[in-house]
Amino acid sequence: MNTLILVGSPKGRTSASWMLGSKLAEGLQDHGVTVQFAMVHQELCSGEGAGNLMDLIDSTDLVVLAFPLYVDSLPAPLTRLLELVAERRGRTASEGSPRLAVIVQCGFPEANQCDTAIGICRQFAGFVGMPWAGALAMGMGGMLEGDFKRLPGGGKKILDALRKTAEALARGGDIPDDAKALFARPLSPRWLYTAFGNLGWRKKMRKNKAQRPIGYRPYAQG
Amino acid sequence: MKALVLDGCREGDYLAMEAALEMTTALAGRVDDVEVVILRELVISACTGCFGCWTRTPGECVLKDDAGKVLRSYVGSDVVAFVTPVTFGGYSSQLKMMLDRLIPLLDPRFTIVGGEVHHRLRYGRFPKTIVLGTLPSPDAGAERLFAGLVARNGRNMHQTIEAEVLVGVPDPPSARQCVERLLDRIGVTA
Repeated sequence: MNTLILVGSPKGRTSASWMLGSKLAEGLQDHGVTVQFAMVHQELCSGEGAGNLMDLIDSTDLVVLAFPLYVDSLPAPLTRLLELVAERRGRTASEGSPRLAVIVQCGFPEANQCDTAIGICRQFAGFVGMPWAGALAMGMGGMLEGDFKRLPGGGKKILDALRKTAEALARGGDIPDDAKALFARPLSPRWLYTAFGNLGWRKKMRKNKAQRPIGYRPYAQG
Repeated sequence: MKALVLDGCREGDYLAMEAALEMTTALAGRVDDVEVVILRELVISACTGCFGCWTRTPGECVLKDDAGKVLRSYVGSDVVAFVTPVTFGGYSSQLKMMLDRLIPLLDPRFTIVGGEVHHRLRYGRFPKTIVLGTLPSPDAGAERLFAGLVARNGRNMHQTIEAEVLVGVPDPPSARQCVERLLDRIGVTA
């Protein structure tokens, strides 16, 4: 079995999407699955890259879209890729279409803010005839920086969810409900996440030596 | 009163292009100034997710392309209309490319909207936003998703966004009626 993990974050291999996708890949590989990665933003920069991506999609058994929530939806380049795939495949399901699964995370605490993005991916899957294998969604994505060990509890809930997901996908099943629930469980209390988040923006401003106040309005009239 | 139309149609999508034309014409009959931005004719790069617009040059994107001009117009408008083919229940990639670049209009600090965490508005308010989607044939699932997406965007912009989906082949009278209904609903009168 072959799996293609499409990383939809512009940050590529330094992104939270990559971090989650890599851990899923480890689990899949433990079950004998061959995993390949592609960075959507980088590939779409060239017409050749887009064609290569579509060839990869056509030749795999499972596609996993791993992306951050952008404005309640998919990042624009990932949307573009879905449009290109739909143009190429048309509405008719072709024999041996790969299955589609999704891992999405957002910077807000509530995992359910990802629901519309998941709905869009599912709608796309139905349109192009790719069997739907389910989705994992989590909030507090701002905490995913570099290493699971830095997360509360060593990120055990997320790691367990990804392990269960890998097991299920490797045997041809859908993402189990208990994995979805574990993955969506908040990593910290909401008030704590937002308090640290607000402090974090100011810390980054100082690090970047920002010359303007945080609420600066460059396009204000008059 | 100023209105901005963000035309997220693909070249050759006559239904969506008709919708954008009717939106522009109807707005021109009701407001003093209408600016139309045909997104497919601009150079707008994908957001890189660097948060430079929040932590490096607050309020301004670090990428220098046509998106900056659109942002300035956006802030200076009273009404903004998105026109897009409904794409798997969402927006076209052309419109989405611009919407992803709207984050300089938000302030990174968190606040609660409708019981959920969202960001503060940098300018205190967003222009009143309306959305006109198009579908070549009825698709209840896509329409439901689209309505849900628009409602979610409304929370991010701290407002209720009105939307309509125009279904079928290009038909100027139907498109005009659809647009007039939208404008009536947000109280933009001649």
